Amino acid sequence: MQAALTVDGLTKRYGKMTAVDDLSFQARTGRIMGFLGPNGAGKTSTLRMVLGLVEPTAGRISVLGASDAAQVRARIGFLPEERGLYRRMTPVDAIAFLAGLKGMSDADARRRARELLESQGLGEAMHRQIRLLSKGMAQKVQLLAALAHEPDLVILDEPFSGLDPVNQQSLEALIRSIVDRGATVIFSTHVMQHAERLCDQVVLLAGGRKVFDGAVADARSAAPRRVVIEGHFPEDSLADLPGLDGLTTERVDGGGLRLTATLSPNAPSQVVLARVFSKELAIDRFELREPNLHDAFIVLTAAAYVEGVAV
Amino acid sequence: MKRLLKIATREYLAYIKTPGFWLSILLLPLGFSMLAIGPALMRGTTPPPAIAVVDLTNRGLASAVVHDLNAQDDGGRPLVRLVHAPGGPFVDAADASAHLRPYLSDERRLPGGDRLDVVAILRPVGSTVAVDVWNRQVADRSVAGAVSNAVNAALRRQVLTRAGVNPAVVAAIEGVSAPVTDFSPRAASGKVELRDRLPGIVGFGMGFLLWMAVLTGAGMLLGSVIEEKSSRILEILLTSASVPEIMGGKILGVAGVTATVLTFWLSIGALVVAFRFPSAGADLAAILLGKGYLAYFAAYFVGGYLMFATLYVTIGAFCESPREAQTLLGPMMILMSVPLVFMSQAISRPDSPLLTALSFFPLFTPFMMAARVATSPPLWQIAGTLLLMGTLTALEVWVAIPAFRSGALTSGRFEMRTFLASLTRRGE
Repeated sequence: MQAALTVDGLTKRYGKMTAVDDLSFQARTGRIMGFLGPNGAGKTSTLRMVLGLVEPTAGRISVLGASDAAQVRARIGFLPEERGLYRRMTPVDAIAFLAGLKGMSDADARRRARELLESQGLGEAMHRQIRLLSKGMAQKVQLLAALAHEPDLVILDEPFSGLDPVNQQSLEALIRSIVDRGATVIFSTHVMQHAERLCDQVVLLAGGRKVFDGAVADARSAAPRRVVIEGHFPEDSLADLPGLDGLTTERVDGGGLRLTATLSPNAPSQVVLARVFSKELAIDRFELREPNLHDAFIVLTAAAYVEGVAV
Repeated sequence: MKRLLKIATREYLAYIKTPGFWLSILLLPLGFSMLAIGPALMRGTTPPPAIAVVDLTNRGLASAVVHDLNAQDDGGRPLVRLVHAPGGPFVDAADASAHLRPYLSDERRLPGGDRLDVVAILRPVGSTVAVDVWNRQVADRSVAGAVSNAVNAALRRQVLTRAGVNPAVVAAIEGVSAPVTDFSPRAASGKVELRDRLPGIVGFGMGFLLWMAVLTGAGMLLGSVIEEKSSRILEILLTSASVPEIMGGKILGVAGVTATVLTFWLSIGALVVAFRFPSAGADLAAILLGKGYLAYFAAYFVGGYLMFATLYVTIGAFCESPREAQTLLGPMMILMSVPLVFMSQAISRPDSPLLTALSFFPLFTPFMMAARVATSPPLWQIAGTLLLMGTLTALEVWVAIPAFRSGALTSGRFEMRTFLASLTRRGE
């Protein structure tokens, strides 16, 4: 499938500090790509270079087939990390103005602004000055302003920050609807649940370098599975279970014990379960926890720092 | 171009729609009206000061002084109102002042309840006379001056009369006044009339108006850029339009606002002149339309506006708050007060070499050249100053485009290092 965005050997240095180091990845057309990483990982710097706001020190970028985002700026929608709109403008005017800058005619831009605001439950607020709206509403207006011109590539920098759970859910639905019409979405976040639910592909950065690029399921496999066993049994009775590392125990309500351990990469959980039963212990609970993206994030970024990737 | 016009329209409407804009546009004519009618209003509502003349000289000066003071008027009404000094006769000046001071500090009132404002005590000093003027208004010197003139005139008359000069001759001497007529080769008919002085006055007025309009417009731009930068709107704009489009749109939008303000003010001025001073109005129209002054002022207004607007937009991109901008612009405003001082000198001495030299300093050019219009500066000076201004503006644009982008995307305080680095990166 054709790539909406290709980044090749991208590097950005600010004096002696390297913000992005030899970064390469592709974002496929019509998919959602999560751009993940801890604070200061280089996500915003990368997005700014992609948008043509900052000149890279080295490397090449191809956005929607163009080598310079300025050539295709009308086909890109962007929500910056730090939000802001003209406080004295109304939502409908603000969205129509920004859509107009992206090439829409005044009439179309205003019609589209009204439609979007109505569909997102902001119909009653469309003629109120933005300074009078709640933070969540203003944030939604800004997002709609980035989408009004129906861009082929939507870049959202930390779109979920500052939103309450209801609005986060509604934003997830909106992002899915963008992809449904064939556009590509790239969003940065350090909240893994959103990426896990939405993304077809994730690129994980740490210290300015890529530490993972692939499907969410592949990212998860980088983190180990965990086993949790609860019941009433002696503390040392499970010490010899096969395939388990890093055993920890703790007391739980009712006087029982909870054992938590990491399952070795190739160890089958059934063998562990069979050994537990063979010991005829009073087991109340046996749980195999598959890793989530958050676990993978911790493992991958920690590994990057241990390897000295991070600056 | 479409994006530039869109940004310009938004900028224009953003100002025009605010109540503050209309308030400020109306306040200036109101302020000028108050300046014009204020003194007359003051005179009309304040009664002439009540003055008592105490003559301790025994030379019969009082009646002459009173006569003189009565004859003087202040814009069609008596300069003073003469009253009798209560409590006289007095032994000496100390006795008179001791008696009359309570009336000046409102501890006592004149018979009938009136208040006393001024006391003039004429006392002998050797063979001549001294005058002590007690006034309830410390800063008011006008009555003291009138009293001094009246006493001096009375003393001169006495000296001449004592010397045997016929009183009719004395009166004739006092009436001597040679009429003076101003001529100049620059006056249309040789004889200097109001219409010949008008260009100088118009030049000063236009220079002052340009100074106000250009700096106000540039200030608006500065505020607008700071607002957009601090609220991160600039970042969104930069992904939607190029730097020249954003800067050009903002500059054009505020130029529209400034042009609206100027048109409003000049229209009000024209109406006032047309109805209140119709003959001067005709002369003014002839000067502005007949000698190409309109094009002259327009050239310096456009050039000056572009020069300052570009400068202020660039500075704004590096500032997070108005306070930061004030720190940067403080020295600039001190510098910009220089043309104000010299523009007023241009009314009487428009061809002074110093004024000509100052005209070639680009930051002063639009104002100094407007003020010097009465001398009809030679073409080489007009072309030279416009060229210098254009060159500086082009240099500013060259610096401003990378600096604006760099400043707009940088957060934190203004740093000269960041600014200079943005210039070195312009080729990347």
